[in-house]
This record gives sequence, C-alpha cells and structure tokens, in this order.
Amino acid sequence: MIAPLGYAIYTSLYTTRIIGGTSFSGAANYTATLQSADFWSGVIRVIIYAAFQIPIMLAIAFFFATIFDLGVAKWGTLFRTIFFVPFAVPAVVGAVMWSFLLEPQFGPFVHIANAVGVHNVDFFSSTLMLPSIVVIVIWEWTGYNMVILYTALKSVPRDVVEAAILDDTPLWKIILRVKLPMVRPAIVLLIFLNVIGALQLFTEPLILYYFQPQAISVNYTPAIYIYWTAIGDSEYNLAAAAAVVLGLVIVVISVGSLAFRRRRGEVE
Amino acid sequence: MNTTTDAVRGSEETARRRGRWPRRRRKPADDPASDIIPIEMYGLKRGTTTVLTVVCGLFAIFTLAPIAWIIINSTKTQANIFETFGFWFARPFSLFHNFSLLFQNVDGYGTYIQWMGNTALYAVLGGGGATALAAFAGYGFARFSFRGSRILFYLVIAALLVPITAITLPLYLTYAKVHLINSIWGMVLPSMVSPVGVYLMRVYVEVSVPRELIDAARLDGAGELRIFFRLALPLMVPGLMTVLLLSIVGVWNNYFLPLIIFSQNRLYPLTVGLGLWAQRAQNSGNAELFPLVVIGGLVTIIPLIALFLVLQRYWRSGLLLGSIAN
Repeated sequence: MIAPLGYAIYTSLYTTRIIGGTSFSGAANYTATLQSADFWSGVIRVIIYAAFQIPIMLAIAFFFATIFDLGVAKWGTLFRTIFFVPFAVPAVVGAVMWSFLLEPQFGPFVHIANAVGVHNVDFFSSTLMLPSIVVIVIWEWTGYNMVILYTALKSVPRDVVEAAILDDTPLWKIILRVKLPMVRPAIVLLIFLNVIGALQLFTEPLILYYFQPQAISVNYTPAIYIYWTAIGDSEYNLAAAAAVVLGLVIVVISVGSLAFRRRRGEVE
Repeated sequence: MNTTTDAVRGSEETARRRGRWPRRRRKPADDPASDIIPIEMYGLKRGTTTVLTVVCGLFAIFTLAPIAWIIINSTKTQANIFETFGFWFARPFSLFHNFSLLFQNVDGYGTYIQWMGNTALYAVLGGGGATALAAFAGYGFARFSFRGSRILFYLVIAALLVPITAITLPLYLTYAKVHLINSIWGMVLPSMVSPVGVYLMRVYVEVSVPRELIDAARLDGAGELRIFFRLALPLMVPGLMTVLLLSIVGVWNNYFLPLIIFSQNRLYPLTVGLGLWAQRAQNSGNAELFPLVVIGGLVTIIPLIALFLVLQRYWRSGLLLGSIAN
C-alpha cells in the first residue's frame, strides 16, 4: 500500500532535486520560460482551443445523455455502445485516421466536400487546423463524457421528475431547470478534467505535424514545446522548467476551482 | 446459524443445476431501462422518437466513419489508399498481404508484432499492478485508520492533480540518473501508480464492503489477510474490473511517456511504433509504410474494442466513473 505512494514521493523528491539543481545553475531557465513568447503562444492557443472544444463537446454529450436518459430514441443501448467506441482507440491511431480522412489532396472528406459543391477546402490550412483538432478530440471523447453524464442523469430521483410532470412543467424546463442543476457536480468534474486534458494537448497535433509539418509549429501547444525543447534541442533544463510552469498552471487551475466549489458548498 | 441459509442456498444451487428451478430473470442492474418514464408523459409525440433516432444515427455515422475507413483501407494497396475513394473498397484485395507485413521488419525500424508484444506486456504489468495496488491501498484507506493515513490520502488526492505531461520530463531526467532509460520498468513502474485507482477503490470499498462484516469476521478470529482475500476482495471485484479496464486503456494509449523514455525501437509500444511509421512514411519517403500504418492501427484497436464489448457492464454503468462526481 505504501509502495505506490512511496514511489510517487521518491520520484517527486528526485524531480524536485533535479529541478532544484537546474535552478541552482541559474533560475534563468524559469525566467527564460516565463518570458518565452513561444511558450506562452502555445498556452494561449490551447486556451482558445479549450474555449471551443469543451463547451461544444459537453453540449453534444449532454444532449445525447438526455436522449438516452429519457429513452426517447430507439436502440439507446446500441447507440451508447457505438458512441463509446472511440474511447478504446488510442489517440495516436485516432489522429492517424483523421489525418488520412482530412488530407487535402486525397482525403475522402475533401472529396465529399467537393461533391457537395464546397471546393478547395484545406482542413490542414493554418486557419482550419485548430478546428480540425477540435473535431478529432470531440470524436475521441464525447462518448466518455456522455457515459458519465448519463450515469449522473440516471441518479436523478424518479419522483422529482414525476412531480415536475404533474405540475405540467414543459419538457425543456424539466431538462434544463430540474435535471441539469442536479447533475452539476458531474458537469463541473468533466469541465475540470477536460481543461486539464486540453492544456496537455500533445498527441493529436504531433501526429498531424508528421502529416503536415508546415501547419503545426514546434511550439503549437505547451506540451509540444516541452517535447521539442527537450528531445529536439536537448535543452533539458529549459524544458524541465517549462514542464514545471505548465504543471503549476494546471495545479493552480485545479486548486482554484476546488476552492471555488468548496466556498459554494459543493464539496466537503 | 449460517448453516440453514447455506443449506437452503445449496439446495437451490443443485436444483438450478438440475434445471428444475425456474430460472429467474436477472434484472440488469446497470441498465435500468425498466424504470424509464413513458415518453407520452412528457407530452411528446411518437414522431419525436423517429427524429431523435435519426439524430443519434447521424452521430453514430460520424463516430464509426473513421473505423469504417480504417477497415476498408486495410484491404488496399498503397497506391489505392491514395487514389481510390476512401470509403469504398478497391482491387486488388491485399488485406492478407498487408497483414503479413506486420510480422516483418519492413524498413529496419522495427517489427509490429514485437511492439504489440511490448504493449501487451506493459498493459498487463502496469494495469495489473495498478489494480493490485489500488485494491490494497483503497481497502487500507477505507477500512483502517492509522497514523498519517489522512495525510497519505491527501497526498494521493494531490497526485491526482499533477498533470502527466508535467511529470514525464522530470521522470525522464530521474531515469537518466538511475539508469531506467530504455528499461521496461521505466514504463511499467509509473503505470502502476494510479491515484485515480486508489481513490476510486476507496470510494468503492466504503460503499460495498460493510464495516460490520469485517468486525464480525474479526470476532470470529479471522486474520486480517484472510479477511482481505476471502471476504473483502470478492466484494471488490466489480470496482477492480473498472480500475483494471481504465488502467489497461491508459497504458495501451500512452504515447508521451514511452516516446520520451525509449530510444530503442525494440522496446517501443504500438503507439510510438505507429507514430514513427507515420512520420517516416510521410517525411522520409518510405511511402510503402502507409499500408502498414493503416493495418497496424486497425490491429491496435481491435483488442481494446473487444475488451470493452466483453466488459460492457463495468463501464456502461459508469459505476465508478460517476462516483468521482459525488
């Protein structure tokens, strides 16, 4: 029982020591990171990305979770299973598949766009690259979010809903005013998990970079910046400093949101 | 005093085995479809069902399109992957040829089947280890209070917040010091540390292993280890299956950590190997690798999708996934 914790603590001690060591040779790495336009432009990009990806995905997930919860579509069980399938697909494979599908010259989606009269779309152009990644990640994660929301919706007591029906409450009000507030803890949790995931965005843009090097810069996301700084440029100390800064940004967001929730009495 | 109930259960058991007992329909606990309020009560028309089913169908098409694409294109030659329409088959049918390439070292940068073995090894060791440790630790936190248990548990919670990306590079630098670079333990050990697993199992034990049961067993003179293995563990199985499922998926899909710590391609897991092939196919002129990337991707996802279908009732209920939210 102590072993994993011991290992985690052991690791953390070592990492602190190493990072402590690097800052010995100059806190310059941290200054460099904090002043690095490359690093921060990546941070800003993932924040913009998160601002689109998370609300769209949660809206879709909530929409379908509600449909399955109400039982207003046929074959709900089958659809739930289908929607969950991408969760079993490694991000690398998912990104590879979508790279082929969206490829500007031969990708079938470009063919389809041409066939319906939309010509010369380039999903990998600098303007459409970020939306393309949004689509890929929505494809990967909607099912997982949907399952969690569905479970939360299922736990809404039946008599609450029945009481609302007897009061002649319209359906949309039951969904948005009765059910939605009751699953708020689950939604908050998902927002939290998705924000952390978004800030660490790495695999999808890196694979797309292999396919379309000109559209993804080496500082596209903070994680990619860390990767190239460490592995590409062998500047391990600078990369470690960037990793620590990114980690701190995420921890601050996490602790901040926890504190916020605690103040509102949502968690003990 | 248990003998009577045991006897009854015993006879019930034999009766059922002989087929005389009316087989009761087990109510699926994870799918409370029977509890659904009829849609007419919401004032919805029948047509709404059709419309919403179509909407679900459209999203299902979106979800399955890439899967369909990878299945179709795994049967194509390299030229046809590019020259023919992605969502339809083309001759010649080269599925078996493509598949056979997975057993060869095509470009001298590694053999798919070896990576598959690595991934399976890392998933079994890492996922199994994470589940075992989550079982011990979760049970310990839930049913024992010892000096420092609160602080240790807070450490687990704190570890939940530490992002993987931020910890990977420090891990790499640590490994460089203790010679774990290019060692499978460098991959397996961090995979075995699963704060989410520990947290989930603690919650699960609180709910599903009654304190009174343990106390009663203690009064009967059972040792702690016996209580854990004979009494608590069987009750924890559904929770452990979920943790196992999540941690296997975690290891199977992990890309960043192995990408950084492995520099020898014989150690790569599938994700890193496929990434390398995709990169070489696109940028190093090794276009003959494209069919391998496609069939390799397909073969990578089959075991996991199969695992999810077999273990449906564990994730479908969202059992533990949902309990985090409370």
